[in-house]
Amino acid sequence: MKNLKIPFLVTIFFMSFLISCDEDIPQNVAFEAYTFAANPDINAGDWKAILLTSNEQIAIAAPNDVTSAEYKAELTNLKNTISNLSGDQKNIVQYWTNNPILRWNEISRELSAKYNLAPAPNADGSYPAPNAATPDKYPLFPFAHPPYSCRAFAYLAVAQFDALISCWHYKFKYNRTEPVLNDGSITPLLPNANIPSYPSDGATIASVSQAMLTALFPLEKEYLIKKGDECRSAFIWAGLNVQSDIDAGKLLGEEVAKVALARAKTDGMGAAQTPKPISDSLKQLAFNTFGWSWTNQEIPPRPVGITPYFGKVKTWAVSNIEAIRPPVPPKPGSAEFNAAADELRKISDDLTTEQRKIANWWADGLGTDTPPGHWNRFACDQISSAKLSPVRSARVLAYMNMAIQDAGIACWDAKYFYHYPRPIQTMPGFKTILGTPSFPSYVSGHSTFSSAAAEVLSHFFPSQAVTFNAYALEASNSRIFAGIHYRFDCVAGLDLGKKVAEATLAIAKVDGGE
Amino acid sequence: MKFTHVRSYTGMLGMLVFTMINLPNSGSAQSPTDAVMMEGKRICVAALFNQDKWDEYWEGTLLRSNGNIGELTRNTYSVMAAVGITDKINFLFNVPYVTTEPSGGQFKGAKGLQDLSLWAKLELFKKQLGPGTFTTHGVAGLSFPISNYLPDYAPFNLGLGCTEGQVRLMLQYLFDFGTYVRVSGAYFKRGTSTIERNYYYDTHGNYTNKVDVPNANHSLFTVGQWLFDKSLKMDVTYEIFNTIGGFDIRRQDAGFISNNMEATSFQVQLQYFIPKTNGFGVIANYGQVLEGRNVGKSTSFMGGITYQFGICKSKNEQQ
Repeated sequence: MKNLKIPFLVTIFFMSFLISCDEDIPQNVAFEAYTFAANPDINAGDWKAILLTSNEQIAIAAPNDVTSAEYKAELTNLKNTISNLSGDQKNIVQYWTNNPILRWNEISRELSAKYNLAPAPNADGSYPAPNAATPDKYPLFPFAHPPYSCRAFAYLAVAQFDALISCWHYKFKYNRTEPVLNDGSITPLLPNANIPSYPSDGATIASVSQAMLTALFPLEKEYLIKKGDECRSAFIWAGLNVQSDIDAGKLLGEEVAKVALARAKTDGMGAAQTPKPISDSLKQLAFNTFGWSWTNQEIPPRPVGITPYFGKVKTWAVSNIEAIRPPVPPKPGSAEFNAAADELRKISDDLTTEQRKIANWWADGLGTDTPPGHWNRFACDQISSAKLSPVRSARVLAYMNMAIQDAGIACWDAKYFYHYPRPIQTMPGFKTILGTPSFPSYVSGHSTFSSAAAEVLSHFFPSQAVTFNAYALEASNSRIFAGIHYRFDCVAGLDLGKKVAEATLAIAKVDGGE
Repeated sequence: MKFTHVRSYTGMLGMLVFTMINLPNSGSAQSPTDAVMMEGKRICVAALFNQDKWDEYWEGTLLRSNGNIGELTRNTYSVMAAVGITDKINFLFNVPYVTTEPSGGQFKGAKGLQDLSLWAKLELFKKQLGPGTFTTHGVAGLSFPISNYLPDYAPFNLGLGCTEGQVRLMLQYLFDFGTYVRVSGAYFKRGTSTIERNYYYDTHGNYTNKVDVPNANHSLFTVGQWLFDKSLKMDVTYEIFNTIGGFDIRRQDAGFISNNMEATSFQVQLQYFIPKTNGFGVIANYGQVLEGRNVGKSTSFMGGITYQFGICKSKNEQQ
């Protein structure tokens, strides 16, 4: 058997090599808690909210004084709880950190990815549609396509922002000092911000986020209850809040969510996925006006594209969508069109490794959190490294996502107004490396979303402006590399996104938070 | 020359592309899944073409068609070699060039070199027992991508994009009158695959460009017969493949390389050693997936030429 030794050693070598290749697959972004005590934004209570008309629109009662017996009993409870924490509870604290905005954003992106699946065709070639009234009946509600997702991110962020402005207002109005300042024996598990603790900003974020996401993703109610409870508890376990801080934050968050959801009910999204006759009339109108129209190329064909009336949904900042509508694109068959089509063929025939990578990196298609989700991740990374306070984090995310949703609305207005056919429709035999989405071509959604997001982030993080603008251009080009868009779709989209962002930033610049 | 099944399992629309690169099974050459050993210092090569097609696949456990794929054709052109180091230790190599082409929809197919495979095969035990010979073989293999094909392109991806190690144990009983029964079981240990994005959703979000490709089990049950003075061999194989873990394709979602892939199939194979040709042989294989999960319901045909050179000669008695 001596001659078998070498092959056995070879085998062992192979297997150990493979085992060593196994890597951890992180299921969360590796954020760490940081202190924002250096810049706690003590005046944020006076910032202008997006939806709330005053920072006391939601009434929060004065807390018991820190010298009261009630508060002292709460402190005693807090200390008892902290002294008996399990390892799991400590891990939960470290997961949420003292700025749980980042985790709630991550959760919203995950839900967007989870629900971003198009309905499967029926056996007869027709397609079913999700129904908000029966969300658990296939196809599940929602179909979190880019319009749905960008709106979800915007409502979540706006509600968080408004709730935290009010939270900050009450913190400094009532000025209840943090547990650690009232009892030196408490050692918080997370950095304390040295700002008043009532209402709890963590509980405010948890409750407003839980309520918003439950309305947007109704089938996730149980999961979100668990997350909300965990997040609120984490601020007790961390030693940052007593129970009455949490209760006040919870009330505030839930009430602000109601205000935001009241707007959502009447913003026009309910009518965005039009019936076929309306969809057909838009197509006919474009054909009569321009001589072209878009047709879904799937087999069987989807009779209505994604949200033909998303362009009519209520905007956050842009006052007149039609005023910024991009110019008429080149007619298929024209010299300008042919040049764009030739460029796509050439790229497709000689696709480089780098181009393929860019196309895939920015694909953000079905089963992903969409381009708006991609930009939210950049924003969260930036917020974390800049160590922003929760309220300033919310401000960045609110304006960025308002701009992204308005960009989506403006983009969809152009898409269904011009009803421009996709490359796979106009270029016979043309094949792509990514799926072509089910809506018209002009202008590019990736380009519009990305340039709006980059513009807003560049305003808040000017030192990173070059990077963000480069990302936006790359996202835009990725669609050309993938054969999804003509260059003129992308150029017009970048320009449109920029205009939308300017309107959004005009509001940000006078909200008191600059 | 005697090559048997060298199988390559590839994620397709999250379905396993049950790409059997079914290599010839006969004579004096050999494959990682047969019980044949080359004699020392002999080299045998094979040129093989395999075509695998499906127009239905299992989305989880739901068998469906997809107009945006139509019929997917996967062609594999491989060159294989078997080298006898000693009579009891052989090394094998396989290099496949793969093309994928859908008949429907708007997606581009893919083409390129897939994974290089290397195996070491050992004869562990051989003994005349009653009216035949009982043999036991062990095989250890390693494969890895040799081009930058994109694994994240199901069902058009060329392969899984990961390193794979395998160990296999094979038992065979060959009756002196030419009938044989063979059983083998293998474990595939897969590494991680790198995709071109840093987030993907399986049953939850994953914040990385690395995909942990599920390990797998593979079992083969073969019954065969030698005919015409051991110049023709025919056999039938029942095959069971399943990954250990992995997730189901959701309704109308694309497949992914970490899907839970299962397939049972059968193969029929003929191999003929052409007399008086100095070592040439031909081989043909037909395969059909019977049941599956997150794989294509594929039918495959394979044909190839085998040749042994140097001092190689047909050693049928080694069966």
